[in-house]
Amino acid sequence: MSHFSSVLQISDLDDFITPSQECIKPVKIDRKINADTKIKIQDDGKYYQENEGVLEKLEKVQITLADCLACSGCITSAESVLITQQSQEELIKVFETNNKMKIENIDGTKCIVVSISIQAVLSLAIRYELSPNDCAAKLSTYFRKLGADIVVDMTIAEDLALLESQNEFIKRYRAATIDKVNNVLPMLASSCPGWVCYAEKTHGSYILPFISTTRSPQQIMGSLVKNWLNRNLDGREIYHITVMSCFDKKLEASREEFSSKETNSKEVDCVITAIELEQMLENDNISLNSLENSLFTEPWISNERCEVLPNLSKHVGSGSGGYADQIFKFAAKELFGMEIGNIEYKELRNHDFKEATLEQNGNILMKFAIANGFRNIQNLVQKLKRGKSPYHYVEVMACPSGCLNGGAQVRSKSNLTSKELTHQLEQLYYSLPTKSPEENKIVMKLYENWLEGNDSDKAISMLHTTYRAVEKSVNALNIKW
Amino acid sequence: MTSRGCGTEHCCQQNPNPVIKEKTELNVEDKCISEDKSSQGEPLTDVFNNKIVFDLIRNIVDPEHPLTLEDLKVVQEDLVDVSDENNYVKICFSPTIPYCSMATLIGLSIRVQLLRSLPPRFKVTVEVTPGTHTAESAINKQLADKERVAAALENTHLISVINECIPARSKG
Amino acid sequence: MPDIITGEMSGSEFKLEAIQTLNQHTGRVWHVSWHPEGKMFASCGEDRAIRLWSMESKNQWVNKVVLTEGHKRTIRQVTWSPCGNFLASASFDGTTCIWDKKSGQFECNATLEGHENEVKSVSWAPNGKLLATCSRDKSVWIWELVDDEEYDCAAVLNAHSQDVKKVAWHPNSELLASCSYDNTVKLFQDDPREGDWTCQTSLEGHLSTVWSIQFDSTGERLASCSDDLTVKIWKQQEHEWKCAHTIEGFHNRTIYDLSWNSDGYLATACGDDGLRIFKEEACIETGSISYKLVAENRQAHTQDLNSVAWNPIDPQLLVTCSDDGELKVWHFK
Repeated sequence: MSHFSSVLQISDLDDFITPSQECIKPVKIDRKINADTKIKIQDDGKYYQENEGVLEKLEKVQITLADCLACSGCITSAESVLITQQSQEELIKVFETNNKMKIENIDGTKCIVVSISIQAVLSLAIRYELSPNDCAAKLSTYFRKLGADIVVDMTIAEDLALLESQNEFIKRYRAATIDKVNNVLPMLASSCPGWVCYAEKTHGSYILPFISTTRSPQQIMGSLVKNWLNRNLDGREIYHITVMSCFDKKLEASREEFSSKETNSKEVDCVITAIELEQMLENDNISLNSLENSLFTEPWISNERCEVLPNLSKHVGSGSGGYADQIFKFAAKELFGMEIGNIEYKELRNHDFKEATLEQNGNILMKFAIANGFRNIQNLVQKLKRGKSPYHYVEVMACPSGCLNGGAQVRSKSNLTSKELTHQLEQLYYSLPTKSPEENKIVMKLYENWLEGNDSDKAISMLHTTYRAVEKSVNALNIKW
Repeated sequence: MTSRGCGTEHCCQQNPNPVIKEKTELNVEDKCISEDKSSQGEPLTDVFNNKIVFDLIRNIVDPEHPLTLEDLKVVQEDLVDVSDENNYVKICFSPTIPYCSMATLIGLSIRVQLLRSLPPRFKVTVEVTPGTHTAESAINKQLADKERVAAALENTHLISVINECIPARSKG
Repeated sequence: MPDIITGEMSGSEFKLEAIQTLNQHTGRVWHVSWHPEGKMFASCGEDRAIRLWSMESKNQWVNKVVLTEGHKRTIRQVTWSPCGNFLASASFDGTTCIWDKKSGQFECNATLEGHENEVKSVSWAPNGKLLATCSRDKSVWIWELVDDEEYDCAAVLNAHSQDVKKVAWHPNSELLASCSYDNTVKLFQDDPREGDWTCQTSLEGHLSTVWSIQFDSTGERLASCSDDLTVKIWKQQEHEWKCAHTIEGFHNRTIYDLSWNSDGYLATACGDDGLRIFKEEACIETGSISYKLVAENRQAHTQDLNSVAWNPIDPQLLVTCSDDGELKVWHFK
């Protein structure tokens, strides 16, 4: 069974030639062939090319995840690649190699950084019956035991994503209303990689201009860690792990946009999900409850490492990051001078499609929506294609109920339906104290010290990204029917 | 990742030189006769036997080699089973290598050629010769699904490749 | 197979007689569907046309309407809505069209897009508000009619692992069945606990592609037919659907379609050119059931039969269509 969100499974257009021949990526191989070349299969099953009596071993075809993302074919083949490139085994191997080098005092040890997302913490907190902060503190202990140098809370990146998104929205709104620019509204959320990948593969140029260019929290974390945290590591290389609620995040981390061509390093080297983490703990025979609490690092401002007890918080709005609520409130104030308290959503066809309206004297000023799950993505896309979308902003997530119900969250151990489990996760999330991204002093300092101000070229390159439509293959030899 | 039949642009990468198999020398005289026949378009007779049906498919060209299915021993006369009175035709074809990713396309070409040249009363079965492909049953199932075949034939990209594989009637 | 059952089954108490042959289609005819009032039927096929046939006089069916604007590729299935005012068509072009007569003549007034490739089947729920479609993209979609105009996607179901061949609703509840190239039949229901449609059960037993399914008029039996040359009858026993009987040994090639009439007769359309009619018989002593072949025409058409449909009002009337480009109206007594 595929682990990807259903939105990606459906765009798995044509994956039938034969079960062992799913991948249609054309592979270029450098070779000189003359009439006497023969391929021989040796007893060990390896392939050799025989040329004028000389045997030469043939290379196996290598396909990277980035290849899969650039291809119009299946996505399921990507899964086997993911499993080798971003697996628990790979993670353990990295830790073990690094630990060994440390012990033997060999140069070139890496600084291993682990960034933990709130959704994954909540999932494990329910699984191990811990409070969110305790769960985070114990996860920190677990990763430090494995060999992590720094364990950080990803809230900082969520704050940056929210601030960038709300500013982007204001720009788009003004461009649409004042300069009459087309194809900028509605702005569609960009933090869900399943949705972005589906849009790129299936709807291309129709939908992409509407998708917010703001990076997802994971990838903002990526640039923050690789581009800022490295500042006082004396050139020591960073290996960056994120702990997420969703398998599609592995695809996101593998996008070409998020790796540096110069250093050939990815901003997020390995994504590990809540369900995989549960598996790792079980394999190590560790009960998370039995571990002591340890601290999170806050390495962002001072040069010394600041260590703090995990103090998790929520944002206003949904458990997927709260984009719609944050942007709605900000835009109401910025554009119309209105202070909004609680946003009231009207549920449409189902609980996963709801909308909120800002009105003044009976006039509709803004209309926002939250659309979760593939069926609602479909309805939204069809509305957009027919020019019937009344929205200014839509928070779109591929999973029903959004990120708290991410595809790689720990499954219920007590026969709860996924809806009931999601409800528990939501309750736990809403029990956390609310913090506004505008009040995060560290973020403000990062704009100043790291990003060279708001809207600077640096801020754009570190906090935004681009999308590209995937062309459909017309090479008939590869068409699956 | 293991080296699977990774849909390559050119199967030659999997099997650049299929001549490792012993190439059957065609009897020149036989060849002339058979080509003569096919050059005249529709078979002259209403009664079909395995030789006549084999003549219909022997000159189909491999999608990647400039060689015919007969040259490559992908089709053989003794793997053609015809019963005219029962309206029955069954072809077994043997892909050159057991994981050839072109096997379904070759099978489809054979199917299309027979669809175009046999009277509609025939029930045609095209299958991989047992033991010659790792995904034998999957390929057979797909080739037997007339709905999938019908849809495939409406795909202009696919049909143009198949048309290149199937020899034009006028070709000598 | 018993030798006596050949041709038109002389000596049998049942008689199956072709009363009209219709050959206006060009190329393969894929599907036939009766209007719920039984006075008209629709057919479609390779020629991308939908033809509507009305009864002009007794045993005389005439093609009155041809709908050609709508699809760019083969039309695989047409289905009338329960109210008879709408016609839905599923096409290899990946879309489903909804035709209505609001302007006085049939026009395509809604196109359902979203499937990645060939749409194989479309079916209306008994209340006429829900519509199901399925495709080679392995998914089953449920659409909901809103405001009498728009069709919203209510669910996308990814339960099958292969090409989905047909969808069919239960006659009096919101239970949907689908069958697939993955050899299974699956049943779906709206699950209030999940707030979404979910796959309730997977019926396994066929050894190859399941081409068609249909509930009988009571909804107690579900019949499925397959490339494995069998028909299976599924019944609900203690809330679980189980295979109650397998009809085997009668069909020589793939069975592409089947249809129940209101008297419980089951007709099958087979790739061996044959049309067959079965009836359930219960053994009083053992309580077990069997299916008896009551009528058969082995050369019903000159090529594969693709679809068979009983008239919903007159249980003696049925229509078949074939790869030979023809439709035939049959009388069964």
